[in-house]
Amino acid sequence: MKESLLDIVCCPLDKEDLELDATEREDGEVIAGTLTCTECGEVYPIEDGIPNLLPPDMREEEEAAA
Amino acid sequence: MTDLAERRDAETAVYQPAEDSGLLAEAALERAAGRTLEVGTGSGWVAERVDTETDCEVVASDLNPHACREARDRGLSVVRADLLSPFADDSFETVLFNPPYLPTDPDNEWSDWMEAALSGGETGRELIEPFLADVGRVLQPGGRVLLLVSSLTGYEEVLALAEAAGFDHEKAVEESFPFETLTVLELTRE
Repeated sequence: MKESLLDIVCCPLDKEDLELDATEREDGEVIAGTLTCTECGEVYPIEDGIPNLLPPDMREEEEAAA
Repeated sequence: MTDLAERRDAETAVYQPAEDSGLLAEAALERAAGRTLEVGTGSGWVAERVDTETDCEVVASDLNPHACREARDRGLSVVRADLLSPFADDSFETVLFNPPYLPTDPDNEWSDWMEAALSGGETGRELIEPFLADVGRVLQPGGRVLLLVSSLTGYEEVLALAEAAGFDHEKAVEESFPFETLTVLELTRE
């Protein structure tokens, strides 16, 4: 993801801003890292350049099914 | 997993472009402007066309992780999302959506990703309803929604939902097929 995406995404739970912590970058894009809600503290992963902004209950459901 | 197995997996797990995609692309190439979100992008084919053939800045989203990867492989900016929930207010001038719209028997539902790409629940409108209720929030003033509607989903019922959400509507494009009529609605509001 490009860092400019931060302007248009938010926490799916409370619509507050997200803070980026990039652990891997390539060609100006964030490949891996996390997005953390500045209000509720929920952490969303970025993997292979794709932020996973599913609400936590949907994410957990999937992890449980896997 | 081998590349081949991965590819086969993606082909059965991600909705590939069909007549409905072509119609949405046609409407979008004509009417999309500014920052544009495609919800439920699937293979990313529509979003890629808008991205390469217009000046729009395109973001694509999907619930399905296989679809997200396929769309990203096309060079798109991708977010894995449940409908519009992680998008900020007043972010987009255009929102595109070709929803899963086939009315489906509840006993046969949600068994895999392809089912999720096609099924609109018992009414066919299970995803259209929450989408229409929330899309006004992410639209910039003067923005528009291009929504694909099938006659199988109930055209009048979708119009009523759009009106309830405060939208004016007009037909952008329409095409009839043996078993359904597909319409792309342009929704705007003051």
